[in-house]
Amino acid sequence: MTEAVAAVEIEGVTKRFGEVVAVDDIDLAIGDGEFFALLGPSGCGKTTTLRMIAGLDLPTEGRLRIFGEEVGMAPPDRRPVNTVFQAYALFPHMTVRQNIEFGLRMRGIKGPELGRRVAEATGMVRLAGMEERRPDQLSGGQQQRVALARALVNQPKVLLLDEPLGALDLKLRQEMQQELKALQREVGITFVFVTHDQEEALAMSERIGVMSEGRLLQVGTPREIYDRPASRFVADFIGRTNILEASVESAGTVRLDSGALIDAEASTPEGSRVAVSLRPERVRLQPRGTAAAEGASLDGEVRDITYLGHAVVYEVAAGPVSVEVRVEGEVGEPFAAGDEVTVAWDRGAAAVVAD
Amino acid sequence: MGPARRSPPTAGAAGEEAAAVARRRQGMLLASPGALYLLIFFVVPLGLITVYSFATRTSTGRTALSGWNVESYRAIGDDIIVGIIGRSAWLATLTTVLCVVVGYPFAYYIATRPRHVRAVLLVLVMIPFWTNALVRVFAIRFLLGSNGPASALSESLGFGTFRILFTPTAVTIGMVYSFLTFMVLPLYVALERMDWSLTEAARDLYASGAKAFWKVTLPLTRSGIVAGCVLVFVPSFGSYVVPDILGGAKTLLIGSYIARQFRDARNWPLGAALSVLLIVAMLVAVALNQRSGSGAEDGGRPRGRRRGPGRGVAEPATAEAS
Repeated sequence: MTEAVAAVEIEGVTKRFGEVVAVDDIDLAIGDGEFFALLGPSGCGKTTTLRMIAGLDLPTEGRLRIFGEEVGMAPPDRRPVNTVFQAYALFPHMTVRQNIEFGLRMRGIKGPELGRRVAEATGMVRLAGMEERRPDQLSGGQQQRVALARALVNQPKVLLLDEPLGALDLKLRQEMQQELKALQREVGITFVFVTHDQEEALAMSERIGVMSEGRLLQVGTPREIYDRPASRFVADFIGRTNILEASVESAGTVRLDSGALIDAEASTPEGSRVAVSLRPERVRLQPRGTAAAEGASLDGEVRDITYLGHAVVYEVAAGPVSVEVRVEGEVGEPFAAGDEVTVAWDRGAAAVVAD
Repeated sequence: MGPARRSPPTAGAAGEEAAAVARRRQGMLLASPGALYLLIFFVVPLGLITVYSFATRTSTGRTALSGWNVESYRAIGDDIIVGIIGRSAWLATLTTVLCVVVGYPFAYYIATRPRHVRAVLLVLVMIPFWTNALVRVFAIRFLLGSNGPASALSESLGFGTFRILFTPTAVTIGMVYSFLTFMVLPLYVALERMDWSLTEAARDLYASGAKAFWKVTLPLTRSGIVAGCVLVFVPSFGSYVVPDILGGAKTLLIGSYIARQFRDARNWPLGAALSVLLIVAMLVAVALNQRSGSGAEDGGRPRGRRRGPGRGVAEPATAEAS
């Protein structure tokens, strides 16, 4: 992304609706051909950001470029982007074919080229044979394919997807995740999609931008976001985690508020308040006294055991704090409620986040 | 099937059937007062009108219920009456078209306001509707009269006095005013349930604002337009009060003509035959509306998700026509 021009470049964009600040001064560059997710809880400004890229909302402040061209104030019909809407927004009074043709016809494409491109798009999303049906005669998954074809047939430079899988049931959603990824590889278009489902974002995207209360908190690969969250919110929002209050003791150690001193890399100066994020599946449970020499540990007592089938979740009381430990792939339950245990983890498994 | 048969395998079915019978009986009980009322005051007079339309007018202007014939229907073909029907149809069409032109942007405006503003605007639309129709029409007569404010304003602006009262223009103005509510309400209902993400999708797919309206909003609110047109056309075709007060003798319309047959001309069979004609025309219009309504999309939202007042919102349509 250093040389090439960004597919979408957002610079200091703010969107206010009256008194409400929906998007608060965000900067973001999305690369050409990237599969990018905007992730956050509802009302965090992710959809507004997407709508500003589409031109359905106009930024109050800031600049927005698509492949280098300033489009911040351009109406949606003058932008080289297309959108897959949340509930698909298929035209109910038109057939599948008419829906897919719409964008091409609006741009004056007709005759053999129109037919060829529509056939190509319907083939791509495996809708051949359904062209003459109406949207209400299709299943949710098929409607979602029509929405995709209707957007992709225009060969946009950027495809925007607003919670594209939100209306589908779990099984179909997982199938469509794979299909969307394959489709994106096939067409090579930049995909920007909005979701509140962190698993979906982790599974599908090359990079994720986490938003909260109108701000863009962190942008990174799924691994970076998960393993090295930049803030307490990101750590807590993505996956399950144990947040332990602490303060920085020295460059390599952090003292938990419960008193324990643990090894962890902190980037903030000595004495500053931090939080330690411990993923339940990255910590081990051992009988008291067998703690490994390397890494860090906390002593505690098993409070509660939850059996999930593929995993067992132990709730361990370590002084005033409670730590969740997730054990997978173990036969039987080696620990019982009331057992004295040690929660141990490798150095590097704990992430220290600034407050 | 006997009601008391309660062998185990069919017990459920029998119980269900009994419940269905009870429900039907209850429904009939609830509907009976209204049904009785309509039977006495609608069906019976309608039947009488139909009977009278085949009766004979005696030389003294009385109606003899004997010598049944279709003479009155034949008389409808008379040049004068055809002219009156034509003029009525033309004025009703003009009224309907003007109501769409004025009402659509108005309904669009209301439907796109925030929810609490919409409620206020709708009440404002309804207020004239709750005011006595006769009072309103006389107010227009005063407004348009040669001594009225409109004329005074025109004079003070240097355009001279004008005289549009007792012309078809005055009748059209009065009719558009009287029936605009019937147009605005169904249009509002259609626009209010419009799924605006569809117009956004059209804009996103390279349609200009005007194209998006033409290709998406208009087709999806068609049911409201058709319903509004029926609700305006039918009563304005048979309209009697407005043309009578604002139109004067030169603008004789079918409604006034029928009234004349029953009162001054004492030709009840002809009046009855013309009434039957109007009713049949109305039924045809309503049937067409029903057909187009059942196939319409209703704003693009999945059917049955929302239950608004729907078609026939402005049921008191008969108030003026009577």
